[in-house]
Amino acid sequence: MSDVRSTYRAESVLEDPGALAVATLYAQSYLSAAKDAGIADPETEMNSLLTDVLEKFPEFEQLLMSDVIGRDNKLSIVDRVIAPKASPFFANYLRVLIRHGRFSMLPMIYSVLVRLQEEAAGKKRIRVRSARPLSDSSRSKISSHIRNTFGFEPVLQETVDTTLLGGVVLQVGDTVYDSSLRSRLKQLKGRLVEKAFNEIQSGRDRFSHPEGD
Amino acid sequence: MKFKADEIASVIQKEIEDFRGQMQTAEVGRVIEVGDGIARCTGLSSVMSGEMLEFPSGVRGFAFNLEENSVGVVILGDYLAIAEGDEVRSTGKLLSVPVGEALLGRMVDPLGNPLDGKGPVITSESRPVEWLAAGVAERQPVKEPLQTGIKAVDAMTPIGRGQRELIIGDRKTGKTAIAIDTILNQKGTGVICVYVACGQRASSIAGVVEVLRQNGALDYTIVVAATSSDPAPLQYIAPYAGAAMAEYFMYQGKHTLIVYDDLSKQAVAYRQLSLLMRRPPGREAFPGDVFYCHSRLLERAVKLNSELGGGSMTALPIIETLEGEVSAYIPTNVISITDGQIYLEPDLFWKGIRPAINVGVSVSRVGGNAQTKAMKKIAGSLRLDLAAFRELEAFAQLGTELDKATQAQLDRGYRMVELLKQPQFQPLHVADQVVAIYAGTKGYFDKVPVAKVQETEKQMHEFIRTEHADMRDKLIAEAALTDETEGMLKKALEAFVTRLASNA
Repeated sequence: MSDVRSTYRAESVLEDPGALAVATLYAQSYLSAAKDAGIADPETEMNSLLTDVLEKFPEFEQLLMSDVIGRDNKLSIVDRVIAPKASPFFANYLRVLIRHGRFSMLPMIYSVLVRLQEEAAGKKRIRVRSARPLSDSSRSKISSHIRNTFGFEPVLQETVDTTLLGGVVLQVGDTVYDSSLRSRLKQLKGRLVEKAFNEIQSGRDRFSHPEGD
Repeated sequence: MKFKADEIASVIQKEIEDFRGQMQTAEVGRVIEVGDGIARCTGLSSVMSGEMLEFPSGVRGFAFNLEENSVGVVILGDYLAIAEGDEVRSTGKLLSVPVGEALLGRMVDPLGNPLDGKGPVITSESRPVEWLAAGVAERQPVKEPLQTGIKAVDAMTPIGRGQRELIIGDRKTGKTAIAIDTILNQKGTGVICVYVACGQRASSIAGVVEVLRQNGALDYTIVVAATSSDPAPLQYIAPYAGAAMAEYFMYQGKHTLIVYDDLSKQAVAYRQLSLLMRRPPGREAFPGDVFYCHSRLLERAVKLNSELGGGSMTALPIIETLEGEVSAYIPTNVISITDGQIYLEPDLFWKGIRPAINVGVSVSRVGGNAQTKAMKKIAGSLRLDLAAFRELEAFAQLGTELDKATQAQLDRGYRMVELLKQPQFQPLHVADQVVAIYAGTKGYFDKVPVAKVQETEKQMHEFIRTEHADMRDKLIAEAALTDETEGMLKKALEAFVTRLASNA
């Protein structure tokens, strides 16, 4: 079974589909609330909190993400530390998250937020797997081809997977377009085997008695 | 003859040159959890319920649970070859199995892969495993008999083509034997048989196949085998796969017979799947839809109307009871779905009454419609006579003195019980059955000692076959006991009785 195991593996399988659904809901509501409040780029502030504050002070991040201190304590910390520096809208959003016990989802909410914004702008993420790193020319070729066929702006997420042997595999949403050398060889193998089967059977039919044996 | 390497190489080379690969499009998902024959996957956003899926190791599965954020997949094969994070591909096809003439005489697993080492099953046709049963307008009443070749069954619980007759009983009471005898008796009648072994020991399946082969029954039989060591999903789909294979022939206007051996193990496999999929358990921890699981399967046994070719599928489901407990969940379910049951009892079995059919409890709801006229005429009162005999027998055990008439009735009863015994794998032609039962009920065996009834019966069949073949042929051709034939039969039996008396 070791030969089949060599296929492409996900970089992370710890993605919890249930959590993703919750994060999507929070991201959507954040966006629509921001729209109502007239905030142009709501993701900047969240990004800044994640990269400039929480990433720089991991202890602070742990404090807020863990359940060691209660919600009220977390709320007061946010009120004292973050709220004076943040916009009232974002501070309110953080308070909602803490009250619902969902603060630890913030990084996930942010990643969903970015994806939603891309989709709103007519862009879609496409996963491209290839045997070798893509050259600029092939990259632009893939992009223009997708633009023409699907009618949206692709955001390419490239991965190199040498087991493909050659060609590319595109994934749009849940649909995979596989034109790698590996899958073609597999097709060829199937076809050769099938043909051999048929030939064996016809050879056997030739010798066997028509009424059975 | 010598092979030339160059020639073979050039053939392969040409094959490769002509090959034009196509881009493959597929809906994919990712395994987030796997174990115990099931997997939970994300993605697969437009997968159908029951759609066939493929794992990277080549193992197949089908979508069983479609949930809000994930898809529960049942794995049909080695689940140890699947890991978290593997890509799952949808195939766009519902779970289906190969069908066709190529399957006759073969033993396959529930996915249609050969298990008998006779090479690949080459057929271009396939049918979905789950298929909606024919509707009311597409059916016609069951009236043609399906001869089991077993006197006790054909006389008292007749089975019609398109009927569903349950065989129920404890372990080791001869349930499978009745089904196998029925398959053996279909030789030369054009009825195609499917034997579905579900959760059986591999050794007993091998035994069944060997019996079928020795008796030349394998030529018209398909064996679908899911042994107890096969994963639960395979055991669960085995009956549906067998039904699909039989349906192919049925919709061609042919008559088919399918044996599900046994459905209690299939229900257990289904319970395992459902519990692992976290469907809520109900009575005896079976899921709520275990009734539907069996009813939709057995509903596929039909007698099609003439516009659809008039084909039929007769189903013989088998249920194993524990300590004769017919009021357990699965037995009551299947009893209520089927058109009657043959109830086998261990007590009778150990008394030597084999087949160990309890005549009182066994019924066939299609009844006399599915009997030849001859059989109907002579077997009409048989069941009542036997019931009366059982009552008398209990009474006689008290040691009371009996009047002559009662004693005579008792004596005839003992001989009838003896006559209805039948060795395994020796199905009788319906004409011979008619002769035997006629002789028994009309008292031609009254002078024969009880212990010798079976032997004498054999001699009688021999006698009729050699010396009164014209009468037997007439009985077969007319399938009815006309006054003329009855006269001939009487004469033949009298001659036999005189010969017996002179030989003794």
